[in-house]
Amino acid sequence: MADPFKARNPFAPWDRRELPGMFDVEETARRVGHYKWAEMKLFEVLGGWIATVPEIDVKLRLGTHCYKHAWHSELWHKRLPELREMNPDRLTVPPNDAMIRFIAAFTEPEAPEMTIEKLVGAYRVFIPHFISAYTFHLNNTSQITDGPTIRSLKFILQDEFEDWRDGEMLIQSLLTTPAEVKRASEHQARLEILLIEAGGIAGPGTIGSAYAE
Amino acid sequence: MRKFFPVSDLARDERFNQVTNEERMADPRGSGNTGVIRKARSTNRLTPSRPDATDAARNLMHGIMVGEIQALEGAGRTCFDFVTGEEAPFALKLDMARQCWDEARHVEISVKLSEWMGTELGQFVENTVLFAAACSQDPVMRLAGVNRALEGLAIDVFTTMKEFGEIAGDPYLAFCEDWMLADEVTHVKMGSDWLRKITENDPERRKKALEFQTVVDKLFSYGGLRSESDESPILLARRFRELAGFTDSEITEIADVSLAALNERREALERTLAPSPA
Amino acid sequence: MTVTVEPSIFSIVNYDANEIAEVANEMLKLLGMGSKNLTIEVDETVAMSRVIATAGDPIVVHVLSSAFENLKSPLSFSADNARLSLGRGLLRVRDRQSGNFDDAPLDDALSIVESAVWETYCVGRLVKLGLKVHKQRWHYNFRNRHGFNDATDRQFEQIWNADNLDWSQLMEISRNCAT
Repeated sequence: MADPFKARNPFAPWDRRELPGMFDVEETARRVGHYKWAEMKLFEVLGGWIATVPEIDVKLRLGTHCYKHAWHSELWHKRLPELREMNPDRLTVPPNDAMIRFIAAFTEPEAPEMTIEKLVGAYRVFIPHFISAYTFHLNNTSQITDGPTIRSLKFILQDEFEDWRDGEMLIQSLLTTPAEVKRASEHQARLEILLIEAGGIAGPGTIGSAYAE
Repeated sequence: MRKFFPVSDLARDERFNQVTNEERMADPRGSGNTGVIRKARSTNRLTPSRPDATDAARNLMHGIMVGEIQALEGAGRTCFDFVTGEEAPFALKLDMARQCWDEARHVEISVKLSEWMGTELGQFVENTVLFAAACSQDPVMRLAGVNRALEGLAIDVFTTMKEFGEIAGDPYLAFCEDWMLADEVTHVKMGSDWLRKITENDPERRKKALEFQTVVDKLFSYGGLRSESDESPILLARRFRELAGFTDSEITEIADVSLAALNERREALERTLAPSPA
Repeated sequence: MTVTVEPSIFSIVNYDANEIAEVANEMLKLLGMGSKNLTIEVDETVAMSRVIATAGDPIVVHVLSSAFENLKSPLSFSADNARLSLGRGLLRVRDRQSGNFDDAPLDDALSIVESAVWETYCVGRLVKLGLKVHKQRWHYNFRNRHGFNDATDRQFEQIWNADNLDWSQLMEISRNCAT
């Protein structure tokens, strides 16, 4: 039996986590507040659309996904006080006016014939942007100091990937003609332009910059 | 997308046909194949021993399924219709979103059970009364009408269907109803807790909400569908209602409302069956 | 051959006596009973689906209104449901007239188990004659009356696929469900 009193390294050889991270507490709180605001908007709209879509399988998926995004917003809501923000509402805001315009355009479709637009907005624009924002955060935050955010990000990303796949499959099942493909891509482009203007879910720098300085 | 979505615009595929509660109540024959008030029987309780039990259970299961769809839609609309923090607390919306997931599962369960029982989607007419109760512009009214009145009825219905499955030896029915019953108790309790919390300092608003609940309770007791009498197909489930946060006096009040609805229906039937004057 | 529908004018449900008579004539021919006289009594005050048939001349089929109803659209007529309901009632009459069902109780005295067995036998034959039927509905009814197990399912299939059984054979199969 190994000697229990023999000195061991606090970080095992397979644990390669590092201290440095791109975000301090304040920046993390700012981002988390934007995430919470965006997740709230998403779950509210998904909930609102349930009554407007005639396709029963879509209706049921929206109901299921509505809860997942509500839970994400709850996770971020609970994280904010841990990041020194005792009034979570103060940071539960959009990053800029462009994001508000994006949400307005995203929310707009209501008619029962517009399921394609609703799903494209959620699953080809909004959720992919969540995935990229969360992935960037996960890969750039301190692996040691920001453990609680990382844990939430991992739970949430798992949901986002699954929901994105569900939504994408529903969209593909609805796109049966060239005209429908065009409709989908035009709506996607319209929303994408607005979200680019916003700089992403957390505003400019949501996923950093890929260009050499 | 509009705030406050009218019941007339509820989206359905081609299989479904919707009627309003007024249209349904205008049917002089009573409340359909669930078999309310058949005079020749010693009991109308929905049990396998009833000659029409299979079809009545199929009809009721279809009613449960479309009811779950509307409950899903209603909870979803409550997530969207109210401004967070100003008109509805964030935590209330989280509960409503959770309810969306639960109701979506209930639709899935009900669809599978309907297939098991030999019913096709949309085979029976859909009464939109449930979503109508979820259209109030006050979230507290929705909690009273949907979570307490409607989900309360769901507790009664699921208890009856669970017993039906147990007596018939139907393994799927009893199993599924048991699970759905657990969720419904949670939803009713959610409604009871929020109603008390939001109206804590607003007795007038609470009074209005409880009055609305009584109206909806009576609607859902229409024709004596649910009461403590053997003449009703659905039994008022006192025990599970207690678990859901109803007080004894509240349960007694619902029992009284239900009995009154049963008596009204009985009198109407007697008038219908009475020989016409020469 | 005469088909009479009572009432001739409906005041609660939106049924047409002539349309019902047309469906009835079609079913009589389909079942090889084209020479029979038939009276159909519709109780339009009750929204249930019961069908009671009495052999005689005329044959009398008493139905509650939902037996002919489009359940998707209350109070309106469904020719498909009318075909199925009349077919079930008329097949029971034809069985009784064959002499092989002399021991069977009258329709309104059938137990719920006897009724489920005979309904299965009738509907199974109607399927073979081309009627649109959702088999699972009848399977579920049979299970409700005999139990949810493999033996019940086997006996259901035996009855559903048969076309030459007598009353005692039906009852024997029904009893076998318990084993």
